[in-house]
Amino acid sequence: MRFEDCNPIGDKHYRILDFDGNVIREEDIPSFSDEELLYLYWTMLFSRTIDEKNISYQRQGRMLTYAPNIGQEATQVGSAYAMEKNDWLVPSYRELGAWLIKGVPLKNIFLYWYGNEWGSHMPEGVRVLPISVPIASQLQHATGIGMANNIKGEKNVVVTYVGDGGTSQGDFHEALNFAAVFKAPVVFIIQNNQYAISLPRKVQTASETLAQKAIAYGMPGILVDGNDIFAMYSVTKEAIERAREGGGPTLIEAYTYRLGAHTTSDDPTKYREDEEVEKWKEKDPILRFKKYLKNKGILTEEWEENTKKELEKEVTSTFEEIENKSDTLIEDIFKYHYETMPPHLEEQLEDYKSFLEGGR
Amino acid sequence: MKFEFRFPDIGEGITEGTLMKWLVKEGENIEEGQSVAEVETDKVTTEIPSPRTGVVSELKVEEGDVINVGDVFITIDTSGEVDEIDKKEESVEKKEIVEEETAGVVGEVIASSEEIPPSTEEVVLSKKPDKVRVLATPVARKMAKDLGVDISKVKGTGPNGRVMKEDIIKAKDAMMKSKEESKISQIQYEESILVEDERIERIPLTRIRKTIAEQMTLSRFTIPHTTAMDEIDVTELYEFRKKYKDILIEEEVKLTFLPFIIKGVIAVLKELPEFNSSLDEENDELILKHFYHIGIATDTDRGLMVPVLRDGDKKSIVEIAKEIEDLSSRAKNNQIELHELKGSTFTITNYGSIGGYFGIPIINYPESAILGVGRIVKKPIVKDDEIVIARVLPLSLSYDHRIIDGASGARFLNLLSELLKNPEMLLLKS
Amino acid sequence: MANKLNIVEAVNQALMNEMEKDETIVVYGEDVGVEGGVFRATVNLQKKFGKDRVFDTPLAESAIVGTAVGMAINGLKPVVELQFMGFSYPAFNQIISHVARMRNRSRGRYTLPMVIRAPYGGGIRALEHHSESTEALYAHIPGLKVVIPSTPYDTKGLLIAAIRDPDPVIFLEPKRIYRAFRQEIPEETYELPIGKAKVVEEGEDITVITWGAMVRDVQKASEMVKEKGIYPEIIDLRTISPMDRETFIESVKKTGRAVIVHEAPKTLGVGAEIVAIINEKAFLYLEAPPTRVTGFDTTFPLPRGEKHYIPSPERIAKTIEDVVKF
Repeated sequence: MRFEDCNPIGDKHYRILDFDGNVIREEDIPSFSDEELLYLYWTMLFSRTIDEKNISYQRQGRMLTYAPNIGQEATQVGSAYAMEKNDWLVPSYRELGAWLIKGVPLKNIFLYWYGNEWGSHMPEGVRVLPISVPIASQLQHATGIGMANNIKGEKNVVVTYVGDGGTSQGDFHEALNFAAVFKAPVVFIIQNNQYAISLPRKVQTASETLAQKAIAYGMPGILVDGNDIFAMYSVTKEAIERAREGGGPTLIEAYTYRLGAHTTSDDPTKYREDEEVEKWKEKDPILRFKKYLKNKGILTEEWEENTKKELEKEVTSTFEEIENKSDTLIEDIFKYHYETMPPHLEEQLEDYKSFLEGGR
Repeated sequence: MKFEFRFPDIGEGITEGTLMKWLVKEGENIEEGQSVAEVETDKVTTEIPSPRTGVVSELKVEEGDVINVGDVFITIDTSGEVDEIDKKEESVEKKEIVEEETAGVVGEVIASSEEIPPSTEEVVLSKKPDKVRVLATPVARKMAKDLGVDISKVKGTGPNGRVMKEDIIKAKDAMMKSKEESKISQIQYEESILVEDERIERIPLTRIRKTIAEQMTLSRFTIPHTTAMDEIDVTELYEFRKKYKDILIEEEVKLTFLPFIIKGVIAVLKELPEFNSSLDEENDELILKHFYHIGIATDTDRGLMVPVLRDGDKKSIVEIAKEIEDLSSRAKNNQIELHELKGSTFTITNYGSIGGYFGIPIINYPESAILGVGRIVKKPIVKDDEIVIARVLPLSLSYDHRIIDGASGARFLNLLSELLKNPEMLLLKS
Repeated sequence: MANKLNIVEAVNQALMNEMEKDETIVVYGEDVGVEGGVFRATVNLQKKFGKDRVFDTPLAESAIVGTAVGMAINGLKPVVELQFMGFSYPAFNQIISHVARMRNRSRGRYTLPMVIRAPYGGGIRALEHHSESTEALYAHIPGLKVVIPSTPYDTKGLLIAAIRDPDPVIFLEPKRIYRAFRQEIPEETYELPIGKAKVVEEGEDITVITWGAMVRDVQKASEMVKEKGIYPEIIDLRTISPMDRETFIESVKKTGRAVIVHEAPKTLGVGAEIVAIINEKAFLYLEAPPTRVTGFDTTFPLPRGEKHYIPSPERIAKTIEDVVKF
């Protein structure tokens, strides 16, 4: 229904909450309990806290380059919450909120950005793929996982993310094409945060919207207000259900804004105006959701104060736990390339170890 | 020229087909490209075009027959056309191997029913090397080659017996040295020996003489010789011998001074074992011999011979006397056996019997010392500050100065002197 | 029971055998389902195992490999075909960035028991990109295995081993000899070890290391030099990565001489690595420098120039003689 309503060709954004937190599509509001609502808000705060702490750590020289998610919390948390436990999450690298919802431990997240591969070793049962650096290449994996589900007759679904920049990559085109041809149960979510490092969305493609590309592949597409957590949730939920019932893939364009820099090594003042950023800050998704919650009488400032303090404490203590204890073991560098280490690798490892021990 | 058209694999990996219908007759003129037959395979039913222009010579199968890929199913008489395809067909005729061209959508993958033997899959590690290979770096090998050294004959002193550049240089030097030496002798040879003069008589060297020459050269040029000399007052020994020599003649024992000297020498050798040794240069070791085989240098008409008195320490003076008499006479009569001329550990050369006094004998290589014995003469000596006439025995001891120092040389003569001066002491120490 | 198969038929039989036993094996790529592969390597598989397990894909090599990554993560064993090695390049990113790295990246949490099959090598008088021999590119990447058989027996055994291997294997099939000869091989399943070379012929005078279609050319060269009293020891490497160094090192220690033969370009080809290994491990046993006989450092020529490129038995024999005479 939503999809018919919001034809991806055209600029109509699907939204449920307006910018002041008022409900404008009453019939589409998901039926969440108060606990759930607070949980969602809590997760967004958690994501924001982690981002701000990591940026600070990086400036202090205690953390390596980090890619923050500031401004995209609703896109990530809302969409991920629509997933079931056995559904797969195939991320790019800017999906912190989704990771948190899916149960990726904070320790893993820190280990990854701190530079240790063990961060990508997800606990058993957490169906999240590692961060994928080659842009859009993960979409192919998502399609593959989906195709395998069809072959195996399993009913779980794959939700995968890509940025506006990634839609220009060949892998985007191929993955969506394959997914549609094979009716793979995949939900493709474009986090259109308006910038691919410095390149604005308008120059990335001549298409009016990114969602309309879905039509070319023969799958449904929709343009959603990415900063509306309810809209993100319900659209993703509908797409997931369709996929689970064998209806094939869906393309969702989440229209949002990257409030922070591309990474901590990026200076956005070089390519965008402060005014623009200020305008979008007013539309901060956390603020927007907060307004709704306050209107509903679920959220108090006190709760928020305390929660922020707790979150800060948890982030700090987890970071300190891994800080300075996360050097990679030498054996680990060699052990995980094959199931059994081949002789030439064994030899290289031994030679290096004896070199370090001051041997011959 | 008769062209044999073999049923081709029409690009689908098929192996056989059924000839459904002939489209030409025997004797008919056909053009290249013209269909000759309809063939059905499990993939397609298709018409087969002729690759030649000519006259249909023979239809080799009947309609309805099954033909295998590679079978000749039609022959065409081509009138004198020579083209490359024919050549290829001919050259390819070996033991029923059928070569066809099979397309893999692009290009030509040649198909053939050639067979290779089944695999013997025991992955065989190459056998252990039978020959011992020389370990050497390529640089060393090249050096050996350039210097003309056979690297397999060079002893390696590097890790695991590796032949190092130094080893090759050493081997080369050794070669050069012998070359140098032969070069010098070459010059001398030319200058003094290749002389033409009617006053010259050329005598070919006997084998013995040659051997002696080689041995003397080897000894003199390898061992740094030093000689110590002394005169021993053997007046008492002289009387002692005089007393008993006639008695012993009845026992058919000729008693000379030599047996006494031999006994004395052996006693000294026991105390100074370095005089009874050989130097092993290769291993940097001194081989001490704890057995006493005394070589007795004997002058024969064929030249110098050194029969060996074995285990002199285990024999009495009388036994020694008998034995050296026997050895000596047999040597002179050319009845001595080769093994009796080998194995001495110390040599005594007695030129005194002929009449020499002091000498500088050459060590019997590879021994370490040789004692030269001169003639006993009556001579005035000083005894208790008075001049008396004594019987004096001159001794000359040459020894290897690499292993025996001057002090030891003197010591040897002193000890021997003590024994020969005083027969009773000699008896006690025998 | 044995049957006489050629290499492409051996591929087919390997797939047939294994797919019967293991339901998680899926085969896909361009034209592999209905048509059975342009070289007929996958013929009859779809008929037997159905469209779910054997299917044709749209024309997108990166997707073929990328989706295989996803499939493998999700518990299947994809055996995908890239139609020619020259068309593996669009999938290069997926292969190097993900196929090779997923296990290490996730410290063993996600592993990829998958096979990428491709016909490789020249000599079939085809267009550009249909004669590629760039196994060195893949062998250089840690986390991949690269296997190249030379006979039907080896093809079946190694492909079965590749399918069963828990690591991703790039299985390159020497298409020049796809149908050049047949060999009696067992109908049943059997496995040959990946990472183990084979001594094809024993000899005392010189070690010749090669693989794929070149093995036959080396054998021809061997017959030629035997007439001059030179007896080469021929080693078929079979696995390029991880390489069986022990076998050829033992051999070079015995013979003191080595020649490496491959059709790929010379510079930074697999031969260069073998020479480096021989230098490291058998330096003191060498009587002559290890020498390579290879394709030129040029793009593979179009058919009219092809005959110059692939080392001929004559060129191989001459190099063997030169090295023996060094």
